[in-house]
Amino acid sequence: MKIWLIIAAVSASTFLLRASFIVFADPQRFPHAFRQALKFVPPAVLAAIVAPGLLMPAGTLDFTLANPRWIAGLVALGVAGRTRNPLATIAVGMPALWLLQWAIG
Amino acid sequence: MSALAQARSPRDEFVAGAVEALPTLLGAVPFGFVAGVAAISAGLSPLEGVALSVLSFSGIAQLIVCQLVAAQSPAIVAIAAAFVVSLRLMMYSAAVAPHLAHLDRGWRVLLSFLLTDQAFATTVHHFSEPGDSRNRHWHVLGLSLTLYVTWQVAVVVGIVLGARIPATWSLDFAVVLTFIALLVPTVRTRADLAAATIAAAVALYAAGLPYRLSLMVASLAGIAVGMAIEVTHRRR
Repeated sequence: MKIWLIIAAVSASTFLLRASFIVFADPQRFPHAFRQALKFVPPAVLAAIVAPGLLMPAGTLDFTLANPRWIAGLVALGVAGRTRNPLATIAVGMPALWLLQWAIG
Repeated sequence: MSALAQARSPRDEFVAGAVEALPTLLGAVPFGFVAGVAAISAGLSPLEGVALSVLSFSGIAQLIVCQLVAAQSPAIVAIAAAFVVSLRLMMYSAAVAPHLAHLDRGWRVLLSFLLTDQAFATTVHHFSEPGDSRNRHWHVLGLSLTLYVTWQVAVVVGIVLGARIPATWSLDFAVVLTFIALLVPTVRTRADLAAATIAAAVALYAAGLPYRLSLMVASLAGIAVGMAIEVTHRRR
């Protein structure tokens, strides 16, 4: 039953966060500091997800050439910065990783 | 298109939105697949995996829940971690709310349920274009529904195929790439860059903390630094 409790709570909280301002509240009525903090949530949360995905593929920090993920990730960052296009980012990033995996073998 | 252009029909807007979703599907399909595999690997039944996906429709929340369930974490830990990664949805909600304020409650509930990183970007962009915006919510619905249906199909395929795709394909890397593509456009100012850099550094440094607490600590550190820089900037 534990898993159903988690499913219910996570689904409810994602919906309530999504609906927070669209359905329930006017953002203008919240303190300025709160809206400022909100602005930094996406860059902070997304970077906190991306960094370990690139640099800790096996659970420990790996900044060596034996870890192709951070190199492919740098390439993908460059493509994302230039094109702002998720399609291009993935279309370049995946082959970059495969190529590096093959090269490192 | 001139500023006096007529509103496009709901049908045209819907189709245009669905077409706009197509490029993002290249990221959503492997991501959904990985989320489906993660659910089965974590010990969820197929029904539980589908329920989590259909009801929460959030790849990163699904992945975090699966990781923590697999690690036998207490329920409250999994729920709290999913909440923290979903906080960004609140920012998106605040950003798109003014564009959707004219819609009735049913529409706003529907578009809220379907709100994603991609729908947020599209809504802000599409509604800021000149012209009659009367039917533009249909555009957002077209994009979001396309994404929703594709996502669920990809998750189900992941659940059914399980781990039968070879690990050497590194499909999970598509998840990281999706987040890179989402991250880059959110970094516009020096304060944004500082928030992202500090969050990344803290996430690496604190990775040893149990229950993926590192994610929570890193996010809060990034937000705090971003705000501090913004405040000192304004004083000058």
